Amino acid sequence: MTTTATPAVLAFVEDKWQEAFSNLNHHQPGISGLMTLSKAWKIAADFLRPRPLSQPRPKYNPVEVKMAFDVLGQTRLLYTVLENFLDDMHQQEYLIKHEVEEYMSKYEETDDPRIIAQLVNRLVEWFNAWHPLAEYDSSSVPDLWLADSQDDAPKSLGHVVTDHFTVAFHTHIYSILPPSFSRGFKVLVASTLPISDDMSDNVKLDQSAWESFFALGLVERYESLIASVCYEHIEGYIRKTCEGKWSEKMLTGMREWMTKKMVPWMCLPYARGAKNSEEAGKMMSGVGSRFDYHVCKVLCDLRTSEIFDMIVDFPDSKPALEDLKECLHRVDQRSNLVSTLRKANKKRLLHPGADTKDILTQYVSIIKCLRVVDPPGVLLYKVADPIRRYLRDRPDTIRCIVADLVGDGENGTSLVDDNDPLVPLVSRDVEDYTDVTWEPEPLDAGPDFRANKPGDIVSTLVSIYESKDLFVKELQVLLAQRLLNVTDGNYEKERRNIEILKVRFGEAALQVCEVMLRDMTDSRRIDQHVQSQKPSLLHPIIISRHFWPTLQTGTFTLPSRLRAVQEEYAREYTAFKPDKKLVWLSHMGTVKIEVELQDRTLEVDVPPVSAAIVELFSERDRWSVDELIAQMGRIDRPSVSKGLLVLVDLGILKEEETDNYRLLEIAEEPSSEPGAVPASRSAISMDELPGAQTAQQQQAEQVRMYWKFIEGMLTNLGLLPLDRIQTMLKFAPGYDRSIEQLGMYMEAARREGLVVAKDGMWRLNR
Amino acid sequence: MKVTIKSWNAIAQWRWDTGKADQDDADEEDVCGICRVAYEGCCPACKMPGDDCPLIWGECSHVFHMHCLLKWIGTGQSKQQCPMDRRPWVTAERKVAPSNSS
Repeated sequence: MTTTATPAVLAFVEDKWQEAFSNLNHHQPGISGLMTLSKAWKIAADFLRPRPLSQPRPKYNPVEVKMAFDVLGQTRLLYTVLENFLDDMHQQEYLIKHEVEEYMSKYEETDDPRIIAQLVNRLVEWFNAWHPLAEYDSSSVPDLWLADSQDDAPKSLGHVVTDHFTVAFHTHIYSILPPSFSRGFKVLVASTLPISDDMSDNVKLDQSAWESFFALGLVERYESLIASVCYEHIEGYIRKTCEGKWSEKMLTGMREWMTKKMVPWMCLPYARGAKNSEEAGKMMSGVGSRFDYHVCKVLCDLRTSEIFDMIVDFPDSKPALEDLKECLHRVDQRSNLVSTLRKANKKRLLHPGADTKDILTQYVSIIKCLRVVDPPGVLLYKVADPIRRYLRDRPDTIRCIVADLVGDGENGTSLVDDNDPLVPLVSRDVEDYTDVTWEPEPLDAGPDFRANKPGDIVSTLVSIYESKDLFVKELQVLLAQRLLNVTDGNYEKERRNIEILKVRFGEAALQVCEVMLRDMTDSRRIDQHVQSQKPSLLHPIIISRHFWPTLQTGTFTLPSRLRAVQEEYAREYTAFKPDKKLVWLSHMGTVKIEVELQDRTLEVDVPPVSAAIVELFSERDRWSVDELIAQMGRIDRPSVSKGLLVLVDLGILKEEETDNYRLLEIAEEPSSEPGAVPASRSAISMDELPGAQTAQQQQAEQVRMYWKFIEGMLTNLGLLPLDRIQTMLKFAPGYDRSIEQLGMYMEAARREGLVVAKDGMWRLNR
Repeated sequence: MKVTIKSWNAIAQWRWDTGKADQDDADEEDVCGICRVAYEGCCPACKMPGDDCPLIWGECSHVFHMHCLLKWIGTGQSKQQCPMDRRPWVTAERKVAPSNSS
């Protein structure tokens, strides 16, 4: 059975057909409406058709075109026309593609951004040629309407057409452009940047180029690329201008450069269509602050990478540090700065090759610099920690600091600024709750951060160590060395230093030094008295032994003549001070002797040991070391050898064979030892200087004898506190060291890695 | 060879002559029986050793820092006795005659 349409359906279809037809026919009689329509379609399609550039679009009568569009509009065919046009465009795409390929291959050969510029211009020509409303500007076509097929709401044909066309065109060219285009475009954009300093008019020239970029939608598509060009340019400029230039503030200059040079340029991509500068300013504000941030960031990064050398250059680099401070406000790179500086310190400062003095100097500079950058001191605290830990492990740190405190700096570069106000060392751990200017600690301060408010350099240095007693002790040793080497009785400098240090360390701590100074003046007074009673060659310094660092004790038997001088002086002294007697430290001091030999007379300063040896040689021409020791009694071999060496250097003695010496009555040609005489001078002075120090070393040496005992007891008993060790050592034969000396020795052993100390308990390092 | 000594810068320590025969210097040093500080140190009240903080010799042969002893004698419970042997304190005239020549 076949399906037969019901008459109702047939009638419906016919109705519809009629309606559509009359619609197309414009309700005109016959098919004249259709004819008009087909003519209008032809005109419109032909008008819109994309052509190769070589065949320019023929001139159309705008009225005719408009009428054609009107006709199409009435029949709601505009949309179809548009689609037809877009199809045509797609078919014609190969024309553009061909050309783009040509340009790009040329570019890839030459790498010349100008080719890209030409390409862009060419594309703009295409764009304009194909633009359906190229002859009209958008304002003149509001009367072309496209009735939307859905809801009959009229829309501006101009805009719809333009939008569709633009999107389609952009899509086409983007699909055509090879990846190398973005590279070329970047170079092209970069080449428009103001490079030299007077480019103000050049920027204007580029306006048209930017118009083309906009027309082709390149600005939107390559926005990040343009921004990165900008960033790179800023970075390059800042690096070029600011690198290594620390003596002036750069940030303001950079910002000025931004407003003068970069902003006019940036107005092109970022503030298009701004009518006046105010409007442009508004449009730029977001971008502007982004770039300002970038300026700060680049400068900050640069300065961060240079920080170590800037610190070396301090105070010349102060302006740069102020820049850095300002940048850090804007850019939060503090942790970066800390880690960079810490890394640099570790690499360049905290290694065995660096002098302790240099480390200290750099540390002080770091303190000063970071105080400029970050007044609350959080950065400093974080950076300083490893340095302080490292310094604590260096054996000569205290010596260096103290030497500097007493102004021993050989080359005059003192760590401590003389302008620094003298502040007593007080530790203020408790917050002052009545402080009106109190401010909370900065955000990135760690829990163990303590703002060191008084914060002068010396207290910071001293606080490397837990107690200042160590300093006082070292100071004492240093002072002893200096005092014992003063021969002209001028202690003013030392006295002044002590007075200054008293302010810092407190009167009580430096009492010992005070006694030492008084011993010196007393010695002079006593000497004057003794000399007035009975002139003597001897001018001793009489010291109070508990107030001086342990000096080289031990007496040896002086030859009779020297001893006589000594005893006579001691008698006079006891007559002057009936309750006291003198104990001589025979190893120390100097004797000025005149040696008359057959061919020459020498007047020399020698240590007492040497004087004693000369005395012995005046009895006999040849002595062996063992004989000398036998004569001089309690004296150790190294001391004798040292004494002999001084005389050999002076050309008085000669070592005939090992340990056997002969007096040179007649000088021998110093050919065997060229330059012996100048060397001698240095030998003596070198010898004298570390008097107290060597004494200390000797002490350590003597405790070392007991190391076996200590090792044994620590092996057997594991952990031991210091006083236990001391009491047990007392059982050892001949052990007579104080617990302080033992402590010093154990500390030395710890530094050598032999033992480990924890909570006051010592154990072997295994 | 003839050697002449022109001058001599020496270093010496002073000691109180406590009358005891020359003992080895390195040996345990004498301390004041009251403050347990060495004789050559100074008593707790003093800052300068030596003539500013002298010793006092008793007939009982005990020696103290003068300041320490006077302070002790000043207290009621001392009954004017030597703190070491509880004999009445009598200050020695001048300690034994210098004997360092022997």
